[in-house]
Amino acid sequence: MFKLVTSLLLITALAPKIDVSSNWIRPNSKGTNTAVYAKITNKSDKADTLYAVESDLAKVTEIHESFDDNGKTGMRKVDFIVIPAKKTIELKPGGMHIMLIKLNKDIAKGKKYSLTYKFKRAGKVKVSAVASDKAPAKNTKPSKKKK
Amino acid sequence: MINFNFQKYLLASFVFLLLLFSGCKSKFELDENLRGFSFKLLDQDGQTVDFPTDFENKVVVVGFVFTHCPDICPLTVNNMQLVQNELTGKGETDDVVFVAISFDPARDTVPLLKKFAALREINEKNFRFLTGDRKITDSLMSTMRIVAVPEDSTIVDGTLSYFFTHTDRISLIDKKGFLRKEYSGSKANTSEIVVDIEKLR
Repeated sequence: MFKLVTSLLLITALAPKIDVSSNWIRPNSKGTNTAVYAKITNKSDKADTLYAVESDLAKVTEIHESFDDNGKTGMRKVDFIVIPAKKTIELKPGGMHIMLIKLNKDIAKGKKYSLTYKFKRAGKVKVSAVASDKAPAKNTKPSKKKK
Repeated sequence: MINFNFQKYLLASFVFLLLLFSGCKSKFELDENLRGFSFKLLDQDGQTVDFPTDFENKVVVVGFVFTHCPDICPLTVNNMQLVQNELTGKGETDDVVFVAISFDPARDTVPLLKKFAALREINEKNFRFLTGDRKITDSLMSTMRIVAVPEDSTIVDGTLSYFFTHTDRISLIDKKGFLRKEYSGSKANTSEIVVDIEKLR
């Protein structure tokens, strides 16, 4: 009984607190820019903060949001995104997204590209994003906690 | 008696034409003549294109974009592609052309436009991407009421990186060269555009 309880506690403790799913990236040419989208689910009882994303796909990787000002659209950098406890935040077209500035290579439709999300509490979460013009029909495989 | 019938016929014809005319006008919110304009640009194959003259007798779906745009402009192009796919699925598309015009000609070179189309697997049969001399693209944007202001500039890897705050627009031009309707580019209802194109064919 003790072993069972200990195992359950261990499994719960090791389970990822942050799940980054439905990862996708828009195709574009080397030297230009593109955006990455995902659904970020915080499974823990405490809020967490996405404060950076690492990638060797581009010279600069930032968190951005698009805005609409009376029919004129633009973008601005945001320093971080708070994911409340037990909530999902969606990075989606026309809203918040991960911005890749000056791509180091072409992003080709159908191929997969890796990025690492950095959270204040959950740490580094590595994901694979598929290049597409739209969100994947089903959730992609759950993200892996980076060791 | 004959005169009376003839007057009735004339009156009925007049009312019919009036209804037909007013019905046509009410289909679209705009009716602006673009036929007098001539903007000489280059397409993704390096061919000279005179916009909108070269597209006379075709319904033209026009988007305004820059290829370094990561979020909004790809949505606009994707919406145009969805309209193109829907029309292609229905059959004949020879009388409809899709045109994406860059307001960032300094960076949007002919090879980059070609690559932009290829990476998105766009059917280029009736989809043109246009760029050209800055003065000409600026004049075209002004004519089409498109505002694009460079902002958010940073130096990345020794070169200037900048974005635009810009009008988010897809426009519809009829076969006679009249601007008939404008839509949000990134949030366009593609089914609405398809219906509107059918009305203009």
